[in-house]
Amino acid sequence: MNETEIKTKLKEFICSTLGVEADVLEFDTELFGDSPIGLDSVDSLEIIAYVDGEYGVDMTGVGKEHFLNIDSIAAYILANK
Amino acid sequence: MTDNRSRCVITGLGMISAVGCNVGECWDSVLASRSGIDHTTTVDTENCYSDYAAEVRTGEWDNVPGTEGMDRVSRLCIKAVSEAMEDSSLGDFGGDSRVSVIMGSCVGGVVSVEEYYTKGKRKELIPQMPISAIASQAAGWCHAGGAVTNVANACAAGTISISYAADLIRAGKADIVVAGGADAFASVPYAGFTSLHALDANPCSPFNHLSGITLGEGAGALIVESYDHAVKRGAKIYCEVLGSGVTSDAHHITAPRPDGECQITAIRTAIKSSGITESDIGYVNAHGTGTAKNDEAEFLSLHTIFDGKNDDLSVSSTKAMTGHCLGAAGAVEAVFAVKALTENIVPPTLGFDAEDLVRLKERAGKLDFCPNVPRKKELTNVMSNSFAFGGNNASIVFSKEQGNVAASAEKKRAAVTGLGIVTPAGCGKEKYAALCGGSSAVSAGDTFRSEVGKEQYDELGLKMAFYRKLDHFSQLQCVSGMYALRDGGYEMTDSNAPMTGIIVGTSEGSISPVCDFEMLVAEKGNANGSAFKFPNTVYNAAGGYLSICSGIKGYNVTATNGAQAGLFSVAYAMDVIRSGKQKAMLATGTDENNDIMQELFDGLGLAAEGTVLPYSDGDRFTLSDGSTTLLLEDEASAKERGARIYAYAVGSGSANCGVPFGTVSGSEPALEKAIADALSDAGLTAADISAVIGFANGHKAVDSIEREALTNVFGERAKTLPVISVKDKLGEGRAASAALAAAHAVMMLSGEIAVQEYYSLESGRPAGRADTSEFRYVLAVSYGSGGSYSAVVFGREDK
Repeated sequence: MNETEIKTKLKEFICSTLGVEADVLEFDTELFGDSPIGLDSVDSLEIIAYVDGEYGVDMTGVGKEHFLNIDSIAAYILANK
Repeated sequence: MTDNRSRCVITGLGMISAVGCNVGECWDSVLASRSGIDHTTTVDTENCYSDYAAEVRTGEWDNVPGTEGMDRVSRLCIKAVSEAMEDSSLGDFGGDSRVSVIMGSCVGGVVSVEEYYTKGKRKELIPQMPISAIASQAAGWCHAGGAVTNVANACAAGTISISYAADLIRAGKADIVVAGGADAFASVPYAGFTSLHALDANPCSPFNHLSGITLGEGAGALIVESYDHAVKRGAKIYCEVLGSGVTSDAHHITAPRPDGECQITAIRTAIKSSGITESDIGYVNAHGTGTAKNDEAEFLSLHTIFDGKNDDLSVSSTKAMTGHCLGAAGAVEAVFAVKALTENIVPPTLGFDAEDLVRLKERAGKLDFCPNVPRKKELTNVMSNSFAFGGNNASIVFSKEQGNVAASAEKKRAAVTGLGIVTPAGCGKEKYAALCGGSSAVSAGDTFRSEVGKEQYDELGLKMAFYRKLDHFSQLQCVSGMYALRDGGYEMTDSNAPMTGIIVGTSEGSISPVCDFEMLVAEKGNANGSAFKFPNTVYNAAGGYLSICSGIKGYNVTATNGAQAGLFSVAYAMDVIRSGKQKAMLATGTDENNDIMQELFDGLGLAAEGTVLPYSDGDRFTLSDGSTTLLLEDEASAKERGARIYAYAVGSGSANCGVPFGTVSGSEPALEKAIADALSDAGLTAADISAVIGFANGHKAVDSIEREALTNVFGERAKTLPVISVKDKLGEGRAASAALAAAHAVMMLSGEIAVQEYYSLESGRPAGRADTSEFRYVLAVSYGSGGSYSAVVFGREDK
C-alpha cells in the first residue's frame, strides 16, 4: 500500500468515524488542539485503534508530533510497518 | 438555625455493593478495610487490558418479592430500597401522594440491552432497557404516589437525587422521598471505559496511582424526610440533610475542567447553602475515581477551598472498596458519609504502600486522606462529592446539627421568555407556527424524524470541532436549546452563566446509542468498543453538550420518567426558579426516532405504520421525535433585562399510580391528582382553565386515561372544554411532545398561535376553532410509562 492510499484511507476514517467534514480536511490540515477540526484525546484513541487494526502499527504513547496531521500519521505508519 | 419547616432528615439507609448486601455488611467491610474488587467472570474480557470489577457476587440478595423479571439494576435498587424502608420502620406507602421516588442511574437497564442483542431479541426485555424503568418500578413496588423520576446524570446522579429530594421536601411537595441510585455492571460500561483507556489495569487506587477506575455496581437508598413528619411518626433520625450544590462545567463531555472552577462552585454552594463554613466540615467522601484527570482536578479543588481554612479535614474515596458504581456511586457514598458521621469513623482510602505514602504526603498537604485504615474522629458535618461525564458536579452536606439552611423566601415567579422548537416539520418556532397555521409548505414528512444539520449549526454559530461529536439525540437537544436562548435574547456572560441551569427531560434518552454500542461490542468483542461513541451512551450527554455550547454553568439535571419528562422538566425548572437557586433555566423535552427506536417500539407492538390521530382508540401510535426547549426565567430578572415574556408557568403537579412499567392502564387517579396539585399550586380551580393540551396519541389505553381523568376533573364542562393536541400533525414524540405541549400553551397565551383547532373529549373529533385571545390559563398534561403524570398550568399572568 502506498503513501497516498494510506492517507486517503486515514481521511475516510477520520471523516466517517470522527464526524469531520471532508471538504475542510486536507492531508496537511492540523488535526488537534484549537484547529477547526479540534480532535482531542478521545479521538486519538480511535485513531490509535484504527491504525493498529488496519496496519498493525501501535501508536500508543507516541509523541504528539506524529499526530499533527494525516501526513505525519501516514509517515509514522510507513516508518514502523 | 434552619427553620423546622425547612429541615430535612435521613431516617433510613439501604445499600448493596461488592462489599456487602446490606448497610451492616458494607460498613463492616469499611472497618476491616476490605475491598470488593476482583477479576470479573461475567463479561467477555478477551484482549482487554483490565479484567477487574467490583461486582455483587453472591446471589443471596436477589429474592425480594415483586422484582421478578426486572432488570438487574432495578432489582439492586429495590433491594436497597426495601432495606432503607425497613430501617426507617416504613411499610407499603399505599399510593400516598406525599411520597416520591427519585433514583439516580448512569447506564440503566444495560443488562437487558446486552441480553436482547446477544441472546435472542425477546420483547419482554424492551421495557426493562430505559433508565426510567428503575424509579418507576421502585415506586410501583412500594406504592409511592408522588413525583417519580430517575436522575440520569451519570456518576453524579446519586448525589443529585438526594439534593433534589431535599429540595422537593423544602418546596412542600413531599413529606418522604425515597432517594438514591443504582447501576449494574455489564458489557456496555466495561467495554466503554476500556475503549477510553480509563480502567486501571490493577485494582483502582484513588488519590494514589491515578491510573484509572475499577467499575463497580450496586445501589444506595436513603429515606429523606421532612423533620416534622419524621418527628410526628417517631422515626429514628440519623442526621440532617443540609445544603447542596449542583453545577455544570461547560467544558468537555468526558474530562473535568482542569481548573476545577465548577467543582469548586458546587462545593462552595453546598457549604454556603448549609449556613456553615469550610472549617465546619470534618470529613469529605470525595469522588476520587482514580483517574489522573479526576483526582488531579479534585486535589486542586479541595486545596483551593479548604487550605488555610480547615487544617483538620479528612478526605477519602471509598471507591477503592466498592469500585466506581457510576449512577449508584453518589448514593452508596452518601450512605457511607452518613455512617461515618453517626459512627464517628472516617472510612479509609485503600491501596497505599510505604512509597505511596511518601508521595501522598506531598500531594495532600494538611488534608488527611485516611490511607488504608479507618480512623476514629468526632464528626459534626460531612460532605459527599460526585463529578460526572457531561461535566456535572454535585456536592451535599449531612450534619448532626440543624445548620442554617435559609427558609425559602417569597416564591419567585417563573416567566417563559424563550422557545426553541425542533420537530419533524422543521427547525425553529416559526416553522412550528406555520405548521399550526395550516401552511401547506410545512409537514412532518413520511418518517416523522427530525433533522438538524449544518444550516442550523452555522445559524447558531456552532463549530465543527464541537458538533462533530454529537449523536442525533444530542444534536436535537443542542439546536433546540440554543434556539431557545436566542429566541429569548439571553446572552451568556461570566456573571449569569453560574445562575443559569438546564433540566433535560427525556423518555428513552440515549437508548439508541446504548443499543448501537452494544451491537458493536457484541460483534467485535469488549476490547473493540468505540471511544468516540461511548460518551454518547450516557443519558446526560445531551445536557452536557448543551452546557458546553451555551456556556451554561449552573444546575444541570437530566430527568427521565417517560414521555412526561418533557413537561416534568418544566415543573422541575419552575421549582428551581421559584426557590431562587437560579435566575434562568432551560427546560427541555427530547426524544429521537430512528431505526433502533422503530425496532424497539415495533417489538412492543406500539409503533404504527402511517399516521394515527389522537382519540382514534387503536392499539398503536405514530412514533415521532424532536426537541423543544423553554427558557424559564425569574420574572424580576427577565423584566430587568427587558425580555419579552410569553407567559408564566404558574403551577405544577406530579403523581404516580404504580402499574407495571410499560403500561398505563388503571392509573388515571394519578393524572387527576397531578392536575389537582397543579391547580392548587397555581391558586386556581378547574373553572379557571380555558383549554387543555392533552397527551392522547391514538392508543386506546393512553387516550382513555386522558378522557376519563379530564371528565372527572372538569365534570359537565368536559363536554365543551377545548382539548388541544400537539400530536395530530407530528405524531408521538414522547418527551419532545410533552415539552411541545408546554411551548404550544405559551404560544397560544402570547398570541403567536391566534386561532386553535380543538377536539371534543366526548367525540374525540375536531369540534371547532377557538380564538386564543380569550384563553387566560392553559393546562398541559402528560403521562409516563408505569402510571406517572405531570401537569403544568400556564397563564397570561401569575398571581
